[in-house]
Amino acid sequence: MAEAFRKWQCATCGFIYDEAEGWPDDGIAPGTRWADVPEDWVCPDCGTPKEDFDMVEI
Amino acid sequence: MIPQEIAKTIIDPKAYADGKRVDDAFSYLRKEMPFAQAQPEGFDPFWVVTKHADILEVERQNDLFHNGDRATTLTPIDVDKKVRELMGGSPHLVRSLVQMDNPDHFNYRRLTQSWFMPQNLRKLEARIREIARGFIDRMADMGGSCDFARDVSFLYPLHVIMEVLGVPESDEPRMLKLTQELFGSADPDLNRSGAEVKDADAALAQIGATVGEFIEYFNAMTEDRRANPRDDLASVIANGKIEDKPLGHLEAMSYYIIAATAGHDTTSNTTAGGLWALAENPAEFRKLKENPALIPSYLEESIRWVTPVKHFMRTATADAEVHGQRIAKGDWMMLSYPSGNRDEDVFADPFVFKADRSPNKHVAFGYGAHVCLGQHLGRMEMRILWEELLPRLQSVELAGQPKRMDANFVCGPKSVPISYRMN
Repeated sequence: MAEAFRKWQCATCGFIYDEAEGWPDDGIAPGTRWADVPEDWVCPDCGTPKEDFDMVEI
Repeated sequence: MIPQEIAKTIIDPKAYADGKRVDDAFSYLRKEMPFAQAQPEGFDPFWVVTKHADILEVERQNDLFHNGDRATTLTPIDVDKKVRELMGGSPHLVRSLVQMDNPDHFNYRRLTQSWFMPQNLRKLEARIREIARGFIDRMADMGGSCDFARDVSFLYPLHVIMEVLGVPESDEPRMLKLTQELFGSADPDLNRSGAEVKDADAALAQIGATVGEFIEYFNAMTEDRRANPRDDLASVIANGKIEDKPLGHLEAMSYYIIAATAGHDTTSNTTAGGLWALAENPAEFRKLKENPALIPSYLEESIRWVTPVKHFMRTATADAEVHGQRIAKGDWMMLSYPSGNRDEDVFADPFVFKADRSPNKHVAFGYGAHVCLGQHLGRMEMRILWEELLPRLQSVELAGQPKRMDANFVCGPKSVPISYRMN
């Protein structure tokens, strides 16, 4: 069975990246796993780099 | 160099009260001089950052463009000089997150960061809803007319943040008065002296007295929370440690002051301005009534529309380039959030209020490491208020001319007279 989608939260502003929804505004399709989000992607709300996001339990 | 007339307008508290005057000045700048220097009389020169993309560019590079090296808000030369004399060379009367850079900013923000995250705020939702309902019931009892700013929007976020902070309800009027004195220091209706401010001595005397009163109040609160910690934000600040040491005195006082002022005034301004927009745009009101799922987008549009924080200043820590302009180390820059939020390159019809605007990537909360810490609390308070108020509000219209406060830093409507029907 496929692994459940997870959520990641920006440590600066609290923005949540939900793997199920992706972030189509930046060309990241729904269903994109965190590992597949480009390394140079930044938080849309505050510009924090991907490496400063944390895992959020749902 | 920006023409003097425009430079004078963008610092003029009365131009922000007028609204259109300041909008026109920034529209001119975005078109003709989107990134240029201004030097109004009595001020050191500063760059005026008017474009949305440039504001993000500057805010994103928080180590290159510092908050605390010079005054963080527009400050005349004579006032700046007096503040430095008073504060042993520092350009700041207080030292909150707003005046800090790394590593202090990171350490002090981390102290309360998790408290302000949505996961933690969820536990407050039921209580905030109860508070919102209380204000809405009161509005219903007012017989169909009120001043929405004074009777509801100033008081509801105030009550929420004071409860969160741990300030007793009996002290709320005092906290509101002190907040309005601080942010409305140029407005004779709100400032401490009740008169026009004539010179630097008078300006500083008023603000100094207000800050002094805050400090006296929060000194007592610190002692109390150290002796008897509770489940409130004041206890987090009073007992917090930065690198195993208690917070510095000025830093602790400033933490309370920013929570007790910016923690409600911005939300109040946005709420009042949001209702003003609905009263002026019946089609948008109907749209929202028919489709409450639009509340989140209406909220974002209210925030963009009001943009209660009008500017912050930054100082370059090294030579740099922004918008093709060379910035020298030490240069001072004004980030104009209302201008960024009316940027025609980002927002279609920026001067039209659209409850369903999407996308709406406004910069009202700032961007980067200094992005508003309280943004989730502010949004939650407003969402709950509108979720409770809209189903009961059958009609609303202006019952007089709304008024904005005279201020160029944090401001919004000070009076929004309305008539309405509620069930």
